[in-house]
Amino acid sequence: MSSIRVEDLSIKFRIYHDRSPSLKEYFANLFKRQRPTAYSDFWAVKDVCFEITAGDRVGIIGHNGAGKSTLLKALCRVYESSDGKISVAGRIAPLLEIGAGFHPEFTGRENIYLNGAILGYSKQQLNAIEQEVITFAGLEEFIDTPVKYYSTGMYTRLAFSLATAMHPDILVLDEIFAGGDAAFMAKAKARMHDLIDKANIMIMVSHDHLLVKSLCNRVLWMDHGKLVADGPPEEIVERYLAGKLDG
Amino acid sequence: MIKADDRSFFGELYNSRNVLQQLVAQQLILRYRRTALGYLWTLINPLLMMSVMAVVFSALFKADLKTFTVFLFAGMIPWNFFNSVVTQSGSSFINNEGLIKKIYLPKIVFPLSVAVALVIDSVLSFLALFAIIILIGGSLSWAVLFTPIAYLLLFLFALGISLIVSITTVFFRDLQHVILIAMQGLFFLTPILYQHDALVGRVGWVVGLNPVVPFIELFRAPLYMATLPSAGVIMHATVLACLAMAVGLVVFRRHEKKIVFRL
Repeated sequence: MSSIRVEDLSIKFRIYHDRSPSLKEYFANLFKRQRPTAYSDFWAVKDVCFEITAGDRVGIIGHNGAGKSTLLKALCRVYESSDGKISVAGRIAPLLEIGAGFHPEFTGRENIYLNGAILGYSKQQLNAIEQEVITFAGLEEFIDTPVKYYSTGMYTRLAFSLATAMHPDILVLDEIFAGGDAAFMAKAKARMHDLIDKANIMIMVSHDHLLVKSLCNRVLWMDHGKLVADGPPEEIVERYLAGKLDG
Repeated sequence: MIKADDRSFFGELYNSRNVLQQLVAQQLILRYRRTALGYLWTLINPLLMMSVMAVVFSALFKADLKTFTVFLFAGMIPWNFFNSVVTQSGSSFINNEGLIKKIYLPKIVFPLSVAVALVIDSVLSFLALFAIIILIGGSLSWAVLFTPIAYLLLFLFALGISLIVSITTVFFRDLQHVILIAMQGLFFLTPILYQHDALVGRVGWVVGLNPVVPFIELFRAPLYMATLPSAGVIMHATVLACLAMAVGLVVFRRHEKKIVFRL
């Protein structure tokens, strides 16, 4: 059984007003008694606590810059928590930015292996899914062409097919998407729903409130790094749209 | 997918061997994609460089060209490897910024993949040059069998330093430029073009402190002198390699989690 426990999670970013300090400045500052504070701290996520258990379909909503994506990245271990603790049981599939590890000079097939390795697939798994990924993306003709010559649609189709080729226990989605033409969109949506159905836990960030209401059974509302509401989708989304914290 | 069961440093590294392999392949393949000679450039480049140096410096030092070529080659092979690892590892995180900010990977795979790709390059150019040395009438002895051990020690030493350099460069970007200059200076303070005891006087003692010297000796003894390196040199190199790795790992593990915030 998968589960996620987040206790008092805080993530701090240091914003440099000027630029990162050079070696010279670092040593110069070592001997100064009063060091100028060239940066300020920004808490992207502050004191967030929640627990997600098997079967939960969680949607995270909030305005831009509320810390939603930072929270997801912390769950996927991209950002280390500055404070607090995250415990995850189960395998997480990071579907944050599809195609992140693609190399433009590599062919489609080489990218399946490169990006697949980055996504954590083993070589045997990749050998097994290679053909299926190519077929699903509809790229049989161009699979041995460097991806820099791909159209945007071809690129996203390949990235999507690869990223969704395996069924993770915990599915983490940042803005569900489906690129490509209408035919691919339909196929991709079906696959996405299948993936969500089979996942033990699903967590997604989305600004599409209808989607959140239809896919999730629980909604977290983030505001300025804090978790301000947690509850059933209908209620929380209504309150969020009405723009008030106290129902 | 992230396996939750093994989160120890080396366990994670083992689980990421597939990524490591892909990153190494990426570096080896991409450099020469769409060039007519392809990977051969890795062999041609040091070959031509060393030939020019051999001709010029053997004339300058009034040494026998054949002997000097072997002498130079035995010193340049370890130096070239060490130099490229230290200078290239500095940008290993910066070049992979996009990836590091989007997906979790054990950070050590980035500098490690640079070092592994370079050691493969180095071994191949070593084999090519070795064949040429034999052809022009160099001597072959059983001591050559020591070179794998020499490579291992040099690899650990270079990797340890590259771990420190890679992390530090993220925090101080100036370091990339400082290192280029420092390595150029170090080249002349390392007995590669000249014999170990040739540099005397006011700067002679610097050569004694230079940590790269025993590693050059590790290669030069079997290839040029046709003997095994002395026990003292092997000990010296082993201690330096272990020390570099120990310090490198400590520095690396202490700071690896801050990298993502500073890229």
